[in-house]
Amino acid sequence: MTDYAVRITRLNYSYPDGTQALESIDLDLKKGERVALVGPSGAGKSTLLLHLNGVLKGSGTVRILGQTIADGDLKFIRKQVGLLFQDPNDQLFCPTVFEDIAFGPLNLGVDAQEISKRVEKALSDVMLDHSYASRSAHHLSQGERKRVALATVLAMEPNVLALDEPTGNLDPGNRRHLIELIAGLPATLILGTHDLEMVLALCDRTVVLDRGKIHADGETSAILADAGLMEQHGLEVPLSLRSRRG
Amino acid sequence: MRDGLQFRPMHIPDGILTNRIALSLDALSGASILFASRRFKLELSARMIPIMGVLSAFIFAAQMLNFPVFGGTSGHLVGGALLGIMLGPMAGLLTMATVVVAQALFLQDGGLLALGANIFNIGAITVFSGSAVFRLLGAEQASGRRLALAGFVAGWFSMVLSASACAFQLALSNAVPLGIGLTAMGGYHAVIGVAEGALTAGVISFLHKVRPDLLHRDFTPGFKLVDWAGGLVLVAIPLVVLVLAGSSGLPDPLQSLLAGPSSIADAAVSPLLSNRNQDLYRVLGYLALFALFAAIFLAVRWIRNRKGAS
Amino acid sequence: MKHSFIDRFGDLDSPLHVLDARTKIVGFTALTVAALLIPAGNSGQFFAFFFFIAILAGISQIPLQYVVGRTAVILPFVLLAGLAAPYRGTQRWAWLAALLLRSTLCLLILVLLTNTSRFAEFLRGLRKLGCPRIMAVNLGFLYRYLFVLSDEIMRMRQARDCRRVGALGTISEMKILGSMLGTLMVRSFERADHMYHAMLSRGFSGEFPVAAPRRFSWRDLAFVSLVALFIAATFYL
Repeated sequence: MTDYAVRITRLNYSYPDGTQALESIDLDLKKGERVALVGPSGAGKSTLLLHLNGVLKGSGTVRILGQTIADGDLKFIRKQVGLLFQDPNDQLFCPTVFEDIAFGPLNLGVDAQEISKRVEKALSDVMLDHSYASRSAHHLSQGERKRVALATVLAMEPNVLALDEPTGNLDPGNRRHLIELIAGLPATLILGTHDLEMVLALCDRTVVLDRGKIHADGETSAILADAGLMEQHGLEVPLSLRSRRG
Repeated sequence: MRDGLQFRPMHIPDGILTNRIALSLDALSGASILFASRRFKLELSARMIPIMGVLSAFIFAAQMLNFPVFGGTSGHLVGGALLGIMLGPMAGLLTMATVVVAQALFLQDGGLLALGANIFNIGAITVFSGSAVFRLLGAEQASGRRLALAGFVAGWFSMVLSASACAFQLALSNAVPLGIGLTAMGGYHAVIGVAEGALTAGVISFLHKVRPDLLHRDFTPGFKLVDWAGGLVLVAIPLVVLVLAGSSGLPDPLQSLLAGPSSIADAAVSPLLSNRNQDLYRVLGYLALFALFAAIFLAVRWIRNRKGAS
Repeated sequence: MKHSFIDRFGDLDSPLHVLDARTKIVGFTALTVAALLIPAGNSGQFFAFFFFIAILAGISQIPLQYVVGRTAVILPFVLLAGLAAPYRGTQRWAWLAALLLRSTLCLLILVLLTNTSRFAEFLRGLRKLGCPRIMAVNLGFLYRYLFVLSDEIMRMRQARDCRRVGALGTISEMKILGSMLGTLMVRSFERADHMYHAMLSRGFSGEFPVAAPRRFSWRDLAFVSLVALFIAATFYL
């Protein structure tokens, strides 16, 4: 059995209109690792994350838990890799929260009895009361929607979690809650984000992506404290690191 | 009430069309939807599903956006031709049908049995005629003014044809004489159709500039033999229903279901209604019914709440 | 922004609300058909129907102003159509009366039907009654994204109003509307793409999974029987 949760080898991807989005990406994640993917807007973070479960297919190989995506069973891949999208509205498309959370497991063939249990568990995993199950996504606040979106992913019991800007558009209170939630999850984690303070809190390893290429890959505090590197790629040293040095 | 977005009822409510017409159109629309669903399942990609869904919401919302016309009234985009052009006839029909059903369910705009007629007028005719006109004008590869013009004609024509169909339905139901229907509805929609055409052209041109790839997505396959065959069968259905309605071999309830409006001359005349004031009495009687309705309603509500409270 | 004009009363607690959606769809549709079959002069039958619907409406816990209000909004249109009818003299008023009575009844029934179920439940009922899957899915998406789109429209209007001084002519209004609609359409396609990715990510492969089972109870049978008896009674007695 492989030690690696994710192995990306020489991944290249171009958009339909020809622009190169990802260039020669090599990235390996060991099981249980927590890696942050940082970079300026348009760097290709979301695009890269979409390759992890086969939604986008570039040239090169992507292996999830030993299985290559190109010839592997997509159902297996999509069960193993849970992808949280930037805008929860895109992820919550069913009339009720229950149906949204049940959507994934139903597609996997989980039977009816088990579905209710999964929905209950997913809701409690994201610390939402089970009364949320019968509500509709459009009546929820942004913070609640983010949590429900996470629940829809967790209900499939994935071993790898890819989160795209999880704290985007959240007020400080909800942001804190979400970070605590994510901290408690056992899965292998890859976080695409601008929220560098969150990166410091959650991830031991950071990868800098800019214009589709990986420019740095190493220990989080070392990378984020490197002012030159940060500014070169449209980022800046997070406040907590600055005060430490200064 | 919500600020800004308003709505004006514009679909046919129940009671105006005869049961015969309403049911034959129900059959036609129902069969068309089943047909389009089948074709969709077999031939179109799953990618279309969220597109149709979001565009249904788009059209519904867009139909509530009004712009002023003639100072007093206002108009809005119907969007059938636009959808026909962008999604092709099958997906376009399903999307518009969804909108019409939603309008009946959410806004009570359009009756239950009249759904078939409304889907036919607003869903099928606008989509098919808009799509057909656009293709006939060879606009698929066009750009600039030719594209805009094709969009305009498609939009305008879809409105006029739809209104005419509605006028025919009303006339066949003996509700509105054909002459009045065609002139009033047809005329009104010929004018409002200018706005529809302009908006359709505007959106198409905008898309051509900003996202030309959206205009040339390969959505529906071209019309195949099965489509023509299917189309013939579909058109035959209402004719069959209409013919059946004329036959006398049917059991009574079914016969009356399919019959035309009751003989107006049979209207019962109560003792009160034997003079010129009968109209006034009728109006008062009608209003009284509402009062009675309210009284019974409130009584029942009061009884239930008392039982609930104890 | 909060929107409440849909599904406002779907959550109430009433004997009608707890019924299976299928029962209500079938029952109320039957009532509509029956109402449309009442011959023009039968005031007794019309009265009976109003009575019955009033009771049902009272039980439903939906506010009176709402029920009457929704009905009243549509009526002027019916009146207009009625006045255009090709009848003269007594015939005309008889036709108008019958039309108004029938339309009002049908409207009241429709208001009850659509406000005594949560929309999601209603959709499930439709699906079980044979509605094509793609239509049910579309209706679900429409319901779900209507508010999202309305919010986007509101914001665009506000942004537009910030940059506008005074009233513009129809043509300028329409030009602005055209670009608003175009932008909205592009955004809709983009959102649809994201949704598609989200659906794929959760294992979607083209077919929608069947949802949880539903229970019928004695109440459903009771309601349907009641409606059937009522219709039979008014027509044959």
